[in-house]
Amino acid sequence: MSAYGTPGGPVVHDPMTLPADDNVNAYTFCVELKAGQWFLQKGKMIAYYGAIEFNGIGHGRLDRLVRTSFHSPLHASDWVVAEGSGKMLLADRAFDVNSYDLDDGNLTIRAGNLLAFQPSLALKQSIVPGFLTLIGTGKFVAASNGPVVFMEPPLRVDPQALVGWADCPSPCHHYDHGYLTGVMGGLRAMTGLGGASGEEHQFEFVGAGTVLLQSSEALMAEQPTGAVPSAPGVPGGGGAAPGGHGPQASGAPRLPGQLGDLQRRFGL
Amino acid sequence: MSFREINSKMVEATVLPGQRLFSQRGAMLAYQGDVSFTPSIQGGQGGLMSMIGRRVAGEATPLMTVEGSGTVFFGHGGHHVHVITLSGDTLYVEADRLLAFEGTLRQGTMFLGSQGGVMGMVRGQVTGQGLFTTTLQGRGSVAVMAHGGVFEIPITPQRPVHVDPQAYVAHHGDVRNKLSTALGWRDMVGRGSGEAFQLELSGSGTVYVQASEEKL
Repeated sequence: MSAYGTPGGPVVHDPMTLPADDNVNAYTFCVELKAGQWFLQKGKMIAYYGAIEFNGIGHGRLDRLVRTSFHSPLHASDWVVAEGSGKMLLADRAFDVNSYDLDDGNLTIRAGNLLAFQPSLALKQSIVPGFLTLIGTGKFVAASNGPVVFMEPPLRVDPQALVGWADCPSPCHHYDHGYLTGVMGGLRAMTGLGGASGEEHQFEFVGAGTVLLQSSEALMAEQPTGAVPSAPGVPGGGGAAPGGHGPQASGAPRLPGQLGDLQRRFGL
Repeated sequence: MSFREINSKMVEATVLPGQRLFSQRGAMLAYQGDVSFTPSIQGGQGGLMSMIGRRVAGEATPLMTVEGSGTVFFGHGGHHVHVITLSGDTLYVEADRLLAFEGTLRQGTMFLGSQGGVMGMVRGQVTGQGLFTTTLQGRGSVAVMAHGGVFEIPITPQRPVHVDPQAYVAHHGDVRNKLSTALGWRDMVGRGSGEAFQLELSGSGTVYVQASEEKL
């Protein structure tokens, strides 16, 4: 599949030789449309053959489609629907691109990594902020910095390396700072000497499923997932529960050895 | 071998109780099992004097020790990773290119002036190594980062190798290196070929070269 070693220069594609719903190379994916529709993120189409029409979501005619397979109306402006017949090439800033098949499954993915998906899948906001969940049967295309590696729980993942997870329960935070306890650890925490290992915080996965990991800690640009309704009990919704517990939810987690803020101590 | 290449940008390391790994801070991608990551104040091995030596030499890259039992995956910044296995000889590499290395290797700092005097120091400036470089000696494996893929070029006594200083990554073996210049009047008036400085490596060993002239 590499074009570097071919005699006579690079591989030249035409509509016949382009693959159908497969990778052209590690960085480009080709979608074949046969009077069908695909959702794609704005600006990720680099070329197409045939008669394809790109419509922003919010077009009256697409209302039914959006209602059945697009469930976060508040960020619909970041997506377009490609419609028609032909072949369409997708790419994103020379990041590695791959397609994934879901068979009556569910997969949660970082919003910035998702490029495109078939309308047979339903896209929903995950309750984990910044992530989107795809449910159903179909194909989707995602980008990653470096090839994606699949792993099985139990596993702890650096937050920047996580691309998504499938069929397993949502992750939880894991804090690992054993070296900040004891006399030396106390000194370290008080003075800041010795630094941190940068690996105090991971996402922990348990249970059965698959975790998707990119091979680098360089994050892709975040994409907005849309706001969630501001209501009590909705994570990230900003709706503070009555009773004054609101402010505690914000801010960095408190490490042992750190003094609690005085306001909280005196109950102010 | 302790490191296994998963793909071009990611390595897997198996950590066993009683064995230690050193890795660059923040380069862990994921782990399975019971593994702890402790920032190493000294920035590597050796005692206090080694730490001071590294600080003075500017070769003190933030390292952490990895201990416990399990499997750890390393990768950093989207750089390509290459695993080099050493069997008793010395690897010369810049400290910030080290992704991870086994605790069985002895880490040291070398003054480039000790290899060819003033020309060695000039060479360090041109390759971006500075005046000092890091050495790793012993038996074990090292994961080295590079921009673009890494390829090995063997050096034999009959065939010295010329490398662009910016593409040089590391070398090991019994190798002498010298900076060969091809400066002419064109370079002085700014019409040079851009290849005025080359690193000439001769002796017997291996040099690792990255497929890019971009530094880390």
